[in-house]
Amino acid sequence: MSTQTTTARENLNYTQTIGMIAAGGRYQAGRGFLGPYSIATSSDGRIFVVNRGASRVCICDLEENFIGAFADGPGSGDGQLNQPTDSAFDSRDRLYITDEALHRITIFDSQGTFLGKWGEKGDAPGQINGPSGIAFDSEDNAYIVDQHNHRIQKFTSEGELITHWGGMGDGPGQFNMPWGVTVDSQDNVWVADWRNDRIQKFTKDGEFVSSFGESGEGDGQFNRPAGVAVDSEGYIYVGDWGNERVQLFTPEGKYLDKSRGQATLTKWTEQFMDSNPDERDTRAIANMYPTLPDHLNDPYRASSQTEPYFWEPVAVHIDAGDRLYVTESRRHRFQIFERA
Amino acid sequence: MSTSEIALMAHLMRRAGFTATRDELETYVAGGYEARVEQLLNPGDPEVIPDDIIRRVHFSLDEGPDGAAAQWMYRMITTKNPLEEKITLFWHSLFATAYSKTNNSRSILNQIEMFRRFSLGSFRDLLVELSKDPAMIFWLDNNDNHNGKVNENYGRELLELFALGIGTYTENDVKDAARAFTGWTLGNVDYMAVKANKDSFSPYGRIAWHFEYRPDDHDDGEKTFMGETGRFNGEDIVDIIARQPAAARFVSTRLFQFFAADQVDEQGEKVIEQMIQSYFDSGYEIRSVLRTLFNSDFFKSEAARFARVKAPVELVIGVIRQAGSYREPNLGIEGVSSFSYYMGQGIMRPPSVEGWHEGEEWIESGALLERVNFVAQELGNTSLPGIKRIIERVGAENGGTLSPIEFVERCLDVMGPIEVEDETKEVLVSHVARRGDIDLRDESVHDESTKRAGELLSLIGSTREFQMA
Repeated sequence: MSTQTTTARENLNYTQTIGMIAAGGRYQAGRGFLGPYSIATSSDGRIFVVNRGASRVCICDLEENFIGAFADGPGSGDGQLNQPTDSAFDSRDRLYITDEALHRITIFDSQGTFLGKWGEKGDAPGQINGPSGIAFDSEDNAYIVDQHNHRIQKFTSEGELITHWGGMGDGPGQFNMPWGVTVDSQDNVWVADWRNDRIQKFTKDGEFVSSFGESGEGDGQFNRPAGVAVDSEGYIYVGDWGNERVQLFTPEGKYLDKSRGQATLTKWTEQFMDSNPDERDTRAIANMYPTLPDHLNDPYRASSQTEPYFWEPVAVHIDAGDRLYVTESRRHRFQIFERA
Repeated sequence: MSTSEIALMAHLMRRAGFTATRDELETYVAGGYEARVEQLLNPGDPEVIPDDIIRRVHFSLDEGPDGAAAQWMYRMITTKNPLEEKITLFWHSLFATAYSKTNNSRSILNQIEMFRRFSLGSFRDLLVELSKDPAMIFWLDNNDNHNGKVNENYGRELLELFALGIGTYTENDVKDAARAFTGWTLGNVDYMAVKANKDSFSPYGRIAWHFEYRPDDHDDGEKTFMGETGRFNGEDIVDIIARQPAAARFVSTRLFQFFAADQVDEQGEKVIEQMIQSYFDSGYEIRSVLRTLFNSDFFKSEAARFARVKAPVELVIGVIRQAGSYREPNLGIEGVSSFSYYMGQGIMRPPSVEGWHEGEEWIESGALLERVNFVAQELGNTSLPGIKRIIERVGAENGGTLSPIEFVERCLDVMGPIEVEDETKEVLVSHVARRGDIDLRDESVHDESTKRAGELLSLIGSTREFQMA
């Protein structure tokens, strides 16, 4: 949980939770998420939530209005998704979604209309094997994490390869199943080097700049970091997936704060509880932060038993207002924080 | 290295594991039978697929019963310690807990992991953990077992189905055992029970369970159990159970039936007596009981081989291990767990608290069709590394050119060795003979020869003998 220190605006401050589980399994309609994997925000502030469990994209806003959903799935036809992983808007409000199973990028406009797709499976330059993270720089170039080829590929927004770098390994500039990527306001590229338990920073041309982090559960250590985001002042947020937490760092990579999550009920879940008083009343007397025996107290199992905690924080996203969105695939919601 | 040594080791690995490849068998035989038994009984690093890799590929695999079963199957398929998973499967069958009532796969997986941790140790310790297991508590209603308002369900099944066997205790023993387990419940029991009973995954998905002891709800009064009197709590009851000759006989017999033979004859009874002695000599240690069984002449005898019908999980995992498939995360794994369910053994879906009815009941017509189809599909897939290796080894004889009978005998040998009835062998040979000798080395006929080999392996997989362990 976040702790206050004397340094200004260097703590994670929880503000709200949005979401709830949607009914209907993989073929669902209506309000709610199922296995959310990524969040992107459009220029008008709407929140686009990519669901792996339902292979659809939901739109909502900070006032918790459920605006709609698009992309029928699972499938491989135009406009369909199978194993969607990450998403990002370009400067023209076009939403790009990576799909690990289809090895391609699918593009929609901000109304959910299918615009196009590109990508094919392979290990040759320009081909992709299990695309994970995606991010755009100021010139609308797309940086795509090529998970199983252990590299980053830089494309134009139309899918033409510009350059690529990386390769399997743990040396500077090498990767081991990387996952998330982001581009900061200076067009530096940050990669969550998942199985190397570190964050690496590159220039927009792929030159290695620096890295931080090591394996472990301590402050500044990681267990399979899945997501990385950088705010307008250069502060770095890491979705520390295996440790079921988020960590905050200075622009230089110095540890500042962490959070295991502290989700509360949302407008949607409050309405669910109103119509299910047996669950509401028994939940009200439950200890939502239970004391657990040692064999159930590793981060994953603790999160499986502690509803307010993050459970599989697969992605972190910073919006135009520097709000942090932490997407939790196993709790079907996202928690929002601000640096305070 | 003699054929009889290979055959004996193959028997051990079918029973104490999930079948081994010919290359593995030769390695084990080189180290000796008893040394292999000790390796199985003292598991080291299982070298299974790392959990993070599985979770990266599979979204919430442990959310539902088929996925959770698949997660365990990855471990069965890749482990270097097959007995550790086989004995865990034994406990899952004996202490059968199903998704159907609990609606909480994560909690049943936690139970499976507990079985694995305690599987080869003290039977007493395992029973204590079982009594504290939240999935078991909910499954048998111990969350409704209160001071002054006893629910006997868990107390009764502990004695009847889990540890002693019917006819070895009185109704009063049941009642006082149940009283001793009052106050053994789940954390947040009211909320967890409401969610489970409604199968509710709202608002934020399932919440896994943990044990909680409530002293204010425990009946601390005097109890009489199996002739002993005291203010017993649950652990005291388990202590008394563990030292009963009936407990030693019960668990030894069930282990014998799972690992050695469905029916206990006169020779089998003698082995069980030795297992009972090991139980007490070792302080109730399952490892010692199994060591006695695996090293017994009865277990090693030819009469004991191919005498049990493979349970669906044994069959499925054994074939996959031989074929070399699913060595890495593959979205198809949930279909594999479904296959096992269609064959009559859905992991996490036992039909009742009595577990599965084993033996010949596995073979009813619909299940047999599923079994044969699955085996044929895997063994006939000549692109799989394990199948390629079998064909490579078969082709290593006679410069790669084999007559139909040589080809059949080589395949039966490398896949088992399997001894089929003469009539079965004739059918296999006549099938091969329709296209004459087979050449597994000649590049010009390679694809055709490989296809023929895949066909024969599929046919062998459908024989009665292959379906037996």
